[in-house]
Formats: sequence, structure tokens, C-alpha cells
Amino acid sequence: MANLNIDSVKERTFDAIVIGSGMSGGWAAKELTDKGLKTLVLERGRDVKHIKDYPTTNMYPWEFEHHNVVTNDIREANPIISRCYAFNEDAMHFFVKDKEHPYVQEKPFDWIRGYQVGGKSLMWARQTQRWSDFDFEGPARDGYAVDWPIRYKDIAPWYSYVEKFAGISGNRDGIPELPDGEFLPAYPLNSVENYFSKHVKSHYKNRHVISARCAHLSKPNQIHFDQGRVQCQNRTLCQRGCPFGGYFSSNSSTIPWALKSGKCTLRPFSVAESIIYDDKKGKATGVRVIDTNTKEAIEYYADIIFVNASALNTNLVLLNSTSDRFPNGLGNDSGVLGKYVAFHNYSANISAEYDGFKDLTTDGRNPAGGGYIPRFRNVYKQETDFLRGYAAGFSAYRGHERSSDGIGEELKKNLVNKDLSPWRVGSHLMGETIPKETNYVALDKQQKDEWGMPLLKVSVAYDDNDEKMKKDYLEQMTEMFTSAGFTNIQPHSDTRNPGLDIHEMGGVRMGNDPKTSMLDKWHRLHACNNVYVTDGASMTSTSCQNPSLTYMAFTARAVDHAVSEMKKGNV
Amino acid sequence: MALLFGGAALLPSCLNDKGKSVVKLKHIDLDAGQQALVADVADVIIPKTDTPGSKELGLHLFVLKMVDDCFNKEGQETFVAGMKEFNEAAKKKHGHDFVDCSPQEKLVFVSDIDKRAHDRKPDEEKDDAKLFTFYSMLKGQTVFAYTTSKYFMTKQIVYELVPGRYNAYFPVKEKAAV
Repeated sequence: MANLNIDSVKERTFDAIVIGSGMSGGWAAKELTDKGLKTLVLERGRDVKHIKDYPTTNMYPWEFEHHNVVTNDIREANPIISRCYAFNEDAMHFFVKDKEHPYVQEKPFDWIRGYQVGGKSLMWARQTQRWSDFDFEGPARDGYAVDWPIRYKDIAPWYSYVEKFAGISGNRDGIPELPDGEFLPAYPLNSVENYFSKHVKSHYKNRHVISARCAHLSKPNQIHFDQGRVQCQNRTLCQRGCPFGGYFSSNSSTIPWALKSGKCTLRPFSVAESIIYDDKKGKATGVRVIDTNTKEAIEYYADIIFVNASALNTNLVLLNSTSDRFPNGLGNDSGVLGKYVAFHNYSANISAEYDGFKDLTTDGRNPAGGGYIPRFRNVYKQETDFLRGYAAGFSAYRGHERSSDGIGEELKKNLVNKDLSPWRVGSHLMGETIPKETNYVALDKQQKDEWGMPLLKVSVAYDDNDEKMKKDYLEQMTEMFTSAGFTNIQPHSDTRNPGLDIHEMGGVRMGNDPKTSMLDKWHRLHACNNVYVTDGASMTSTSCQNPSLTYMAFTARAVDHAVSEMKKGNV
Repeated sequence: MALLFGGAALLPSCLNDKGKSVVKLKHIDLDAGQQALVADVADVIIPKTDTPGSKELGLHLFVLKMVDDCFNKEGQETFVAGMKEFNEAAKKKHGHDFVDCSPQEKLVFVSDIDKRAHDRKPDEEKDDAKLFTFYSMLKGQTVFAYTTSKYFMTKQIVYELVPGRYNAYFPVKEKAAV
């Protein structure tokens, strides 16, 4: 029997464990196995194999039972998840059902989740921008949140490293506040987007409209073919999973890459209940897992643990990892665990028309979605009555003048009208929110889920800064649209809940001082140096870039550090 | 013949005492007469011309499915109540139920409703509000059924699943695909 037990423990012992298989977990798996470590990847949901498990990917609109409309029963049973723009008949199987994964909303918060191998990297919006020092230095400048322990120079080579592998399309725009990367050819701006870009450049100092940078293979390199991925075919049906691997996801890229190494064990249906901390050894020794099918608790052991469970779930796992040494959650000597959660404010947009370029339209589809306006407020100095700034999307398009006026022959003609509409333009807000102690997550003291995990209590809200920033965005865009000669300008503000931006961040923030932060400059817990957190939870502040690319770079850098520490015998 | 095109999966499931086929619905209760009304109105909206019409394409079956599965309870109640008003108005004008009207009477009646629906202000509160809400719902769903049907997306416009290109500057004279 003793031998059996020893064998069993041996079978459950790895060099490294990664909790989560999404955007950052996939990168941890790839990097750890590339470096030869025997790695266990835990995923709470089911497996989703590239291509094989994309059941809707080649379906035509009329092949969906309701032509891609979600039924009323599903919407009523899932009021939270059905607010997500990508939750339609073609991709709803990649989102959690509200009732199956409850949480407590102390304040209204739409927690949008995808519990499967690949996580939300399957359905993400694929926008990828680097941070600059204007972003990393935000907290140090105005004193909200703590200073980031890293700067652009620390992360720049790792941005390059992940960009080459993932495949990022973009132009080298030479904008200091949005550093250039290792780009595949950009998707071009169309005539009106280009017109607006030139107009803004000539009328405003330090404002730019550039081709949106995105994780699409506009022109793949050998490294992408090696992953089994080929050129993006402009389907823009990405949320279904791409049979070409045209955009980056864990499923098409990092996870199969890791598995191919022979060093990776992928374990779906495995909720990470807690990280096991050994008081005597003074370090984490493994992860306690609940098998979601059998409800059985199983322990796995490793020298290095990467927590990539997604921002809020990473908080949950750490908060639930209590021991004599850490009664308030793993590494939580400072008491800041779960606090200073922030997100992006997406609650405004603006549309207009342009009476020009009538001889031009577009053909095919642009996977980048159009243009991107990097942050221009409070970059070089504090210049407004709100802190930080915002980025914005910008796109122009023409459709056909297809009305549904009339009946019979007249209606049929109207529905196939080939006349083109005027150019329509649109922009949406992507605003930084300020991390505050009062925006937090914590464990609910009474309620537990089906697997015995305490429910996460979320208490996150907008504040005055967000309102001021939104007002400024609408004013500035209205002014820019007006001066560009756009007409029928319609500013619009909505009352969406925080969370629907799907950019929740923080709670396990980085910082130089263990008294006020959780992670050091290598993404290690200050108080437990073999546990790394490299997903959204680690964000000290949020700036306004789409965050995934930064998580990828953080992860590759942290793995490099972890493995070099391991080789030095420090863990 | 009626089920040649899209919606063929939704076969009529039983016959009522009048011998009319009835689609089995999950959330709302529409008898054979009401279902026939939906089919007849949809066929006036998208009639057979030199191209197929609603009945040939089975659009009404998809419309019924959408009302049954995708409308909320309030929308379904308005749909059913408005349909009754619609039928009453037809009776008043032509002396019998809408489904028993001649093809010409049906065309005249629906044309009139369509024009008045088009000219109404969005929030106009009148006694006949439900009639027009019903009509707008039915027309909207018929148009949706038609424009997302395989027939329309392959024969009338060309929907491309795999465009494989993006031309940012495309001269208008050339024919852009959808």
C-alpha cells in the first residue's frame, strides 16, 4: 500500500502547475514546456480542441435554428451573460450559464466568463496594443494606486517575443504613447477612416487615428505555419473559433504547442479549490483540485505554480487558499488582496455620417474592425479635471440602402437595393478607471457553489472620474467629428454595468512595497516566492489599452524568471 | 411543395377538425385559423412573383417559430391580441375573416395597413395600437425570415462565409459582395 501511495503522489507531482488555460494560462503552459518543465494545466471547464470543437464555425446564417437570435427562454434564464455582444446562437456554447456559476453582486457587475480550455481567448475581440511608460507611470504621477514596479523597458522585449509568436498586425506608427511592435502587415484604413486620420493629425497636436492593431495573421510567417495556423480569411466570425487559426487563441496556438512538447498534461473539469501552502517549507507545494464531474478532491504537487484563472477567479483562488501562515488568503500579509479592482469604461459611443468619397466603398471584411485612437488626454501632463485618459475605436462603413418599405414586388426590390448608403462613422469609448480600495472582491461568508467554493462577492462601481471622462470623450469626439465635416452626429451614453467591458483587472496588484501590494516585479507573491500571478489580477492600474497582449508578455517574462530561479536552486 | 425551401424541418405536426395543418408551438397557443392568418399575411408581404414567395419558402413557419421562441411573454401577448384586432378590422371592412378574404381583398387590406403603419408616429397611442404593433412584428419577422433565408442569401445576394479579402478602397462601379 505504501508503494501505491508513493506512486500515486509521484503521478500527481509535476515541475509546474498552471491554473487556467485562457489567454495567459496558455502562454504559461507553452513557455514552461518549451523550457522542458513537466507541466500540469488545470482548467475548470471542458476541453475545446482546435477546429474539432467549433461546432458552428462553418454554419451559414440560415442554418442556425433561429438564424443566430438567442431565444427568450435562454435570455431570461441568463440575464447577465446574454448582455454580452458575442452571446448569440453561434457562440453561446462558449459562455457560462448564469445559474451554473453564481456570484454575489454587492453592486451591479456583469461578470462575463467562458469556462473551457482556451477560456475567453476563443471569443475575445483581438485588439492588441502595447503599454508605454505614460501608462506605467500613471499611478506614480497622480498617486492613485501604487507605483508599478516595472517600466516599459522591462516588458518591451517580451512584447516582441509574444507578438512574433501570436501574430499581430499593425503599422509602425511611431507614436511614443503607443509603442510599435513586431508587426505583420496592417489592415488598411478605408477612405473615410484615412480622411479622418489625416484631418485629426493636421488639426490636433498629439492625436492619432491609426489602423487597429489586432491578433490576426494578415501574412503568416513560418512560426505560425508551425502552429498549424494559416492566413486570416476575413470571415469576422471569430467568436465561433477559427478553422484557419486566423486569429490568436490558446486553442489554436499555445495549448496545442504545449501539448506537442510531450511535457504538458491538460486536465479539464478541474476547479482549483486552493493552493496548498507548507508552513515548514515556507512555500506553496501544490494545488487542491475539485473534479467537477466526480466532486472528488485531488491534490497535485509542483515546485512552481502559475495562477492564471482570469482576474477575478485568481482573486477567488488566493482568497480561498488559507493556512496558519496566511489566514486571510495566500500571500495576503498586506490585506490588499481582492482590493483595487478596476476595469474599462465602455459606456459611451458616437455615430455620424460623411457626405463624401461617394465613388468609394469597401469590399470583403476587415478583421481589425477599422481604426484606433490612442489615448491623447493627460498623456504628457495633467490637463483635465479627471485623472488618466481614454482610447477610442473609430470606423467608417457603407451599407446598401435596403429599406423594408412597402409590400410585394416593391418590398422585394427595396430589400435587394444596390444603392449605397452615405458613409457612416462610429466610435466607442475605452476609458481607464481608477483602482480604489472600495472597488473590491471578497469571499461570501455563507454561500458556496456546487463544488464547495465560496461564492465571490463583487463590489465594483463607477465614480465621478468616470463620468467626467465620459463627458470629455463625447465632447472631444463631437468636436473632432464636427471639424471633420461629419453630419448627423449622435453622441450616446448608456448605463451598462461595470464588467460588461470584460476588462476587469486587479485585486492581486504588483508593487515595490509588500505592505501595499501582492506581487513583486517578477509577478511573484511577495510572501510566497514560488507562486506567480500573470493574468489580469496582477494589474496595478488599467490604462486604456486592450489588456490581453500585456498579460501574454507578463507571462512569458515571469516564466523565464521562474525557470531561471529554479535552475539557480532558489525555488 | 410548400416546404421546398428553408423551414422544412418544421413540418406541420397535426391536423385540427377543420383539416387545416397546425404547427405545434411551445409558448403560445395559435389555432389553425390564426396560423393561416400569419401565413396569408406573410404571403401578401412577400408574394410569389417571378421569384418565390413566403408560402413557397416556408417563411411563415420560421415566423411562427421566432414569435414562439424569441419573443418575450409581453410581445407574444401583444402579437396575439393585435392579430385579433387585425382580423376584426378585416371583418369590418370585407365582411369575413381575413383568411376567407379573396386574394384581392387581402392585398387591399394589407396594403392599407402597411401604408398606415408606415405613416404612424412611433409612439402614437390609439385604440388600434396593438393592430399595428402586430403588423409591424409580423412584417419585421417576415422580412428577417426572407433576408436570412438560404434562398435570399444565395440567389438574391451573395453571402460569403469566407471572403478571403478586404479591399479598403473599392470603386463603387464594381460590384461589391455582401
